[in-house]
This record gives sequence, structure tokens and C-alpha cells, in this order.
Amino acid sequence: MKRRRPFIALFVLLALVVAAVTATAISAKPAKRNANSIEVLSLWGGSEKDAFLKVTAAFTKATGINVQYTAARDFIPDIRTRLAAGNPPDIGILPRPGYIGTLAKQGALKQLSSLGLSNAYMKANYTPGWLALGSSGGKLYGVPAKANSKSVIWYKPQSFKKYHFKIPKTWNQLLAITKAYKAKGLVPWSVGAGPSQSQWTLTDWFENIYARTAGPAKYQRLFTGKLPFTDPSVANAARIMTQIINNKYVLNGVQGVLGQSFVGGIGDVFGTSPKAQLYFEGGFVGGIALQQVNTALKPGKTIADFPWPTIKPGLDHPVVGAADFAAAFKSSPEVTQFLKYISTKAAGTIWVSTGAVNSPNKRVSGSAYPNVLARAEAHQLATAKTFLFDGSDLLPGAFGDTWGFALQDVIQHPGNIKSILSDFQNKIKGQF
Amino acid sequence: MATVDQAVPLRAGTRSERMVRWLTRTPIHIGLVAIAVIWLVPTVGLAITSFRKPVDISNTGWWHAFTQWDWTLHNYGSVIHATGMGHAWVNSLIITVPATLLPLTLGALAAFGFAWVPFPFRDTLFLIIVALMIVPIQTSLVPLLKLFAEHGHLNNGYWGIWLAHTAFGLPLAVFLLRNFFITLPKDLIEAARMDGASNLSIFRRIVVPLSVPALASFGIFQFLWVWNDLLMALIFVSDPNKQPMTVRIPYLLSTYGQEYNLLAAAAFLLMIVPLIVFFALQRYFVQGLLAGSVKS
Amino acid sequence: MSSQPLPAPAPAAPAPPAKGRRFGLRARPSSLSGFLFVLPALVVLVIFLIYPAYYTTRLAFYEGDFHFGFFHYLGIDNFKELLTNDKDFLDLSKFPPGGALINNLRWLIFYISLSLLIGLGLAVLAVRVRYERFVKTAIFLPMAISAVAVGIIWLLVYSPNPDIGILNGLLRGGGLHTQSWLGNPSLVNYALIFAYIWASVGFVMVVLSAAIKGLPADVLEAARVDGANEWQIFRRIMFPLLSLPISVVTIWLFINVIKVFDIIYVMTGGGPGTSSRVIAFTMYEETFQNGRPGYGAAVAVIMLVLIAPVMILNVRRFRSEKVVA
Repeated sequence: MKRRRPFIALFVLLALVVAAVTATAISAKPAKRNANSIEVLSLWGGSEKDAFLKVTAAFTKATGINVQYTAARDFIPDIRTRLAAGNPPDIGILPRPGYIGTLAKQGALKQLSSLGLSNAYMKANYTPGWLALGSSGGKLYGVPAKANSKSVIWYKPQSFKKYHFKIPKTWNQLLAITKAYKAKGLVPWSVGAGPSQSQWTLTDWFENIYARTAGPAKYQRLFTGKLPFTDPSVANAARIMTQIINNKYVLNGVQGVLGQSFVGGIGDVFGTSPKAQLYFEGGFVGGIALQQVNTALKPGKTIADFPWPTIKPGLDHPVVGAADFAAAFKSSPEVTQFLKYISTKAAGTIWVSTGAVNSPNKRVSGSAYPNVLARAEAHQLATAKTFLFDGSDLLPGAFGDTWGFALQDVIQHPGNIKSILSDFQNKIKGQF
Repeated sequence: MATVDQAVPLRAGTRSERMVRWLTRTPIHIGLVAIAVIWLVPTVGLAITSFRKPVDISNTGWWHAFTQWDWTLHNYGSVIHATGMGHAWVNSLIITVPATLLPLTLGALAAFGFAWVPFPFRDTLFLIIVALMIVPIQTSLVPLLKLFAEHGHLNNGYWGIWLAHTAFGLPLAVFLLRNFFITLPKDLIEAARMDGASNLSIFRRIVVPLSVPALASFGIFQFLWVWNDLLMALIFVSDPNKQPMTVRIPYLLSTYGQEYNLLAAAAFLLMIVPLIVFFALQRYFVQGLLAGSVKS
Repeated sequence: MSSQPLPAPAPAAPAPPAKGRRFGLRARPSSLSGFLFVLPALVVLVIFLIYPAYYTTRLAFYEGDFHFGFFHYLGIDNFKELLTNDKDFLDLSKFPPGGALINNLRWLIFYISLSLLIGLGLAVLAVRVRYERFVKTAIFLPMAISAVAVGIIWLLVYSPNPDIGILNGLLRGGGLHTQSWLGNPSLVNYALIFAYIWASVGFVMVVLSAAIKGLPADVLEAARVDGANEWQIFRRIMFPLLSLPISVVTIWLFINVIKVFDIIYVMTGGGPGTSSRVIAFTMYEETFQNGRPGYGAAVAVIMLVLIAPVMILNVRRFRSEKVVA
């Protein structure tokens, strides 16, 4: 009988734990999907997810249709697995327009016009630039869901004040501030481009520099496959990038960059025990910093942003921006209702009022933005003389990630830029 | 208990001898205790982190938790409710229990056939099944996904993952149980046959009751294997409402936020079940693992 | 219970009785009945294991399509590309060489040798102290934990922020430079390997310590009486007697290395860049991230080819020991 005892102990313990967790789990059980419910798959987490859930809550209230939000870890593997399983979500929030082409070619996406969102309707709400990005082969698939400027640099106004720094207008002024911080014994920059797929922050560094050194025309050609990555302008921009992202100026050196995540990097600069002074990433940094990293931050006093400085005088400062697109994998009246709802002014207004995102919807008014940071970003996007879409997001399939990996290589081995670029060009050749 | 045998008894000696022995062993003591502590620290760190407030986690290390006494259960509340991890925990159970019982039943039946009921090519067939232990899961991902999708959408429910785990657990089950069954006293089985008992009733009345230790060993191994599995669940459970914890937890690690408070609490919830099995059933547990050591 | 040695590698199987066949034939004439017992298992194996393995092997010679069908026959092109032209899989052009295959080789060398070394050391030393139970429980505990949880635990340990990660916290406390354990391509593989060693040493320790307890006490005692010191006893007597359990453990570790996936998926996603990819991870990436099922299948076949010889060896041994007793 001795042998039985552990069994009994196990079963009693297991039964207790099962009972306890089941009880809590049942009370937390997500709404079962039924005919009156849709699933939305997206990468958003943290403040961006919270902002989206506010929109879906309003949608449910208005229509009675429940929205189940599913967070993916990695969009493409997730969606490929589910497509192969014959069980895609109703709607996916594609983090890159590049995916629209890839998935549309596979026949996985539903055309908006077939869902009852006519071209005229879309034109009434979005500018042609956004619609072009949501299209593939001349057909419209994606509803621009949220947009952000990626041409802002985040700083601490109180620190600029203390050291009498002025907002830099040129790259050289930015470098001068970097050096001045360094001379004062402070770490100028934090860059989070490491684990959990944060390499995309490097692609944004590159794009801003490239747009300001090679110009918008070359930028467009490079990221649409009409200019090879072996073009000297690419190596030049990569080299300029390493003027800041090197062991001297970033927290914990280049290895530190590769060990830090995007959100972790924000914490390095704006957390409660900050270790660095400047951070570059898009407008969404504000929402994440204020809501996730440090709720004690004061917009305009302890956190603010300035536009990316000019590098080549003639090229000014074009705005690089990005957007997420909602696209349908299934067609149903609920899907149509949802896509229609998120493209309304009302939805856009709720969305931007969270301060986490910008709306690409042209009918959302500037006063809907809750704080100076969000308003400044909206203003920058609205008044940009040249607007360029995030280039890596335009690359087909998973090449946006591969390009990020290549840039991770660049900052580690600035001497090998040429061979790294030609390796990348070999991979991407013929993929557009 | 198997892992906790008593120390080799010290031979009696004079006090000074014992003193000398103790001194010469000091480095061993230091080394052993140090390694044990090093091995415990990461888990303890995670446990403590799971009870700290998010603000504390991102600004001070968990080792400060002893001085800033500010613990909370809030992380568990939010991970179970807000991220649906409680639901995923139940999914893990729903996946694991049948995926353990199925190969156990089918494996025991087959093992009985291989051990006690002759048929042509029996040993050859047995060797083939044993050889199947080499097949890595990776070879099954794509074809099974396709098969499930095209025939009955097995992966939208739980059948796909149950069957896949059954298939990959079977070779080991057959191998272990068959080797145990042939050690059962043949007189007993012989006598039952003389009495006219059918094979099935011999299996039910004699073989199974006598083989509880072997069945438990395999059962525990398979239970832990399935509970801890990530890859198969990642591919074969495509409905997000049905995914187990191992799949949901990495989703908390997105580029937009690594909330250690949630991660730590979720990882701890995941660990509870294996730890209970470990402490309650150490002997079978270890045997199960040893038994599983031949699995690919 | 306390003195029962652990059977290795499989649960106790004392010398089996006379061959089942001879005995069974006499007892039961029906051969169909036996087959019926085996049939359900056989059906499951054929459909869900054998057929998929065949499918994947065939797919490895094709370019796959979106629905994982056979799109375009390529012959051995996938393998050629993998082994000669894919720097993420095998890169011999630089020093030290890189790629998933080489990373797996690193795993093979460091994971196996260190796990064996630490596990054997612990098995030999732990029996000598009174708190053996505490030490063994502490070391063995991680065995119960899923690789996903192990990954989370070690993400915390390795955090680049010295205010979060204890490793960098200690380095900073000691006045040293903090390290980016998972961000430095030349450290990341070793950081992952160590985390996995942490999770596996318990197994090595338990198997070997059970084997040590099964050693003939009189032989060891006789050696002690003859004046042999502890090191000599270990080197000359214990070690040779332990060669079988050590080989069992080594095979287990080897198979673990080839299939390692979860911990990399959780901790680094193969990064930075592709520097911590291994074979099993490449299979997943190529199939589901890059949408190249044929190429991914070729990687799976390479896995199969790497595991097969070791397992065949293993099975052969079982066969000589158990099957044809």
C-alpha cells in the first residue's frame, strides 16, 4: 500500500489546483466565438493594444458584435500556419503593407470592394497615398488602421535646458549634442534593436538617413526593387548610421543594442532610473513611454520629440511614416461592419484620443489628440512636404526582417558593409 | 525515494579522525552548496518577480524585494484574466490528459500483443516500431498540418494534437511496456489461459494490474512531455481559443512589450503542474524520465 | 525504497523468461488475435508518423507551394543550396565558421561535455554529504520545467539591464562591465547552451548517481582497504564501470541537441540576426516564416539523418539486451 500514497497525494493536489485554476479561468473565459463574433489577429501589445480595445469596445456597443483580439508573436509564421490549417482569423492587422502583396498573391485576402467597401467610400476617408499602400495589383485590400511618424527623435527637455542644448536642425548639430553628452560623462543614446524581433528599429534609422542623403526618388526605387542594395548610396547611408550607433555613443555599445529590445530601450532613456539621454523611434514611443514605462513622465517637460534633422541641405527633412492595415481573410457581414466601423471618423477619434496612435483617416480632426506629443506628431504627418512610407515594411514577405538582420550585421562590422549589402541583394533579387 | 538516498554512512572513528575528514571535505561542501544555490537562484528570482509590482520590476532587481517589502498577487490576477492565461491553462489540461491516455491505452494493448500473443512477423514489427523512435517531430509538421486541414479540420479542435502526440508517444510506450510485460510470471498467464480466459481478459485482469509501475512511469513521462511541448501545439492547434500555455506565453514576449510581471506569473503557472508531479511522485517521475531517455 | 537503484535505461526488466514465441504458439493457435492487439497502434503510426515522414522526405526534393503541395521538382537542389549557398545554415567562409549547423555543433560539444562533467561530478560528490537530498532536489528541479519556462527564467537572468538581470547586476556590483549576453553574437550561443545545461544536468546526475549506487560495494571497499585514494578509486574503478550509463546519457543529450527548439524560440528567436539559429529552428523559420516548405523539409530530413545512426546504435543495443533475450 505504500506505493499508493504518492498517487493519492498527487490526485488530491492536482484536483485542488485544477479546481482553483478552472474556477478562475471560467470566470475569465473569453467570449466564445459564435456567428455574432469576429476574431482580429494583430501584433499589438501594451498601449497600442489597449487603444485598439477601446475602439473594439465601442464597436461592440454599437453593433452587438463581439471582437476577439488575438495577439500574435510573429505575424507571418502565425498567419501561414493558420492559412495552411484552413482556419485564418476573420481580420488581420498587417504590420506591413508588404504583406498585402504576399498574401493577396496567395489568394488569402478578400478584396474590399467584394466586402461592400467601395472605392468611392475609401476615397472619401483616405488620401490616395494611403490607398495605394493598401492595394496590390490595382485592387484594394487593406484599410489603413493607424499611422505613425517615424521621423522623430525623443529627448529630455529638462536635460537640454540644463546643458543649453538647442533642438538640432542638422545631422552635425545632432552629432555635436551627442559628443557633448559624452563629454559630460553621460551616455548619449540608447538603441533597442535586439531580442524578440526588435531589429526593425535599425531599419527605421537607415530609412531616415537614406531619405535625407539619397533623396525620396532613390528611396522609392530602392524599396520597390528598382535599385539594388549594392548602390553606393546605400553603403553611404549605412556608414552614416554607424556615426551614432557605435561603441562610443550608445548604451553598452553595439552589443548592448543587440541585447536590448525596443521597449527596453525606451526604459533606458525614460524609465525611473534612466541610463541614456536620447532615443529614436516613431511617434508611438510617446504612448508607450507614458503608459507602460513611466507614468510619472510629463509631456513637454521630461519627454518630448523633435523632427529628424536634415543631413544633406538640399534634401530637407522628408517624413518617414508607417501604418498598419486591416485586411479581411474571410467575408461575412460582421467583417464588413467591422472594417466599415474602423474607417469612420468616430472610430478614428476614439483611437487617437488614447494618445497611442495617429489616424490615417483624413476626417479625424487635430483636436481629438490628447496631448502635445500626439498633436505634434499628427501635425508633422499632416504637413509633411514629402511623405515616405517605411521602406522595410514595403519589402516582400519576411524580407523586412532579413533587412533588419543585415543592419544588425552592419553595426557590428562596419568594415564589411559592402559584402553584407551584396549578400542581402543576392537574397532579395527577384523577390519583388 | 530514488533521488534522495541517504548519504553513505560514515565509518566510526575517533573525534580527531572525524575532524580531519570534515576539514578535507570542506571544499566539497562549499562546492556542492554553491552549485545547489546557483541552480536554485534563477527559479527563485522568477518566483519573486512574479509577486512584484511592474514598476518595481523594471527599476530594481528582484533581490531588492527582500528590503522593499511590497509584494502583490495582482500579476496573477491580470495574467489569468486579461491575457487569457487561465483559459490557456485549462487548454493545456484538455490537451494533455487525452494525449497521455490514448498512447498509454493503445501502447499497452500493442505491447501485450507483442509480449504474449504470437502472430507472424511479430518481432520484426516490434523492431520497426522501436526504430520509429528516431523520427523527429519536424518531419510531421507540414504533412500533418495539411492532412488535418484537408480531412475534417482536425486542427481546429483538439483531435489533431491528440493524435499527433499519440503517434509520437506510441513507439516508446510499446517498447517500454512490452519489455515490462514479458517479465510477468508466465505461470499466471498460462493458468488463466487453461481456465479459458480470453486474451482480452488476461490483459485486463492480470497484465494491467501487475504493471502499474511501468504504466505510471510511461504515463508520467508522456504527461510531462505533452504538458511542456511547444512545437507541436504551435503548429497543430490553430484556434487561439484552444492553444495551451506553452504557445500563449511566448506571445507575451512581443516587440511592443516585455512585461516581466506577466511573463513571470505566467511561467510560474505553467510550472505548477510539473512541480506537483515532481514532488508527489518523485520515484515514478524519475523512472518516467529515465524511460523517456530513449525517446528522440 | 531508499536504497533501490534506478534501472537504466529502462524500467526494471530482469532477465525475461523463455522466448514468448515458443510458449505462445503452444498456448494459442489464433494468430489473428495477437495482430488485433497491435492493429490500433499500427494504424495510428502509419497515418500520423510514417506517412508524414515519407511526405516530408519527398517534399525535400521539391519546391513547395503555399498549401504545402509538391509544386516543382528540384532534385537535390534544396540540399545543395543548404550546404553550399546558405550562410544562415552553414557558413565556412569566415572564422570561426557560422550558421545553424555549426551552432548545433557548438551545442553538441559544449552542452554534452559540460552536462556530463557537472552531472558526473555532482553524482560522485553528492552521495558524500548528509544534505544529499537538498542538493539533488535543487539540481533536478529544472528537469520538471518546460523549456518555455526555462527560457523566461533565463531571459530574466540575462537581462542587459543590471537592475533587472542578476548576472549583470553581479558584474556591475563587482565593478565590471555588464555584458549583453543575448545580444552579442559571440556570446549568445553559449548563453543559451548554459541555460539548457542548467535544465538538463539533473537528469545526468540522477542516472549516474543511481548507477554509482549500484556499483559493487565490496570492490570499492577492498580498494579503500588497499590504500587507494578517492581519486584513484574514481578513475580506475568507478569510471570504467560507469561507461554504459554514461553512453546512455550521452545519447539522450545528443538527441536533445539535435531537436533543441523551444528555448531558442522563446529567448532569441534565432537572433541577433541569425546567429543563434540551430537546425530545428531553421526548419521552422524556412517553412513558416519564409514560406519555403520544400526547403524546410530538406532541413527536417537532415535532422533525421543526423539522429538516425545514433538511434540505430541505441536500438541495436536494446535488441541485444532485451528484445531477443
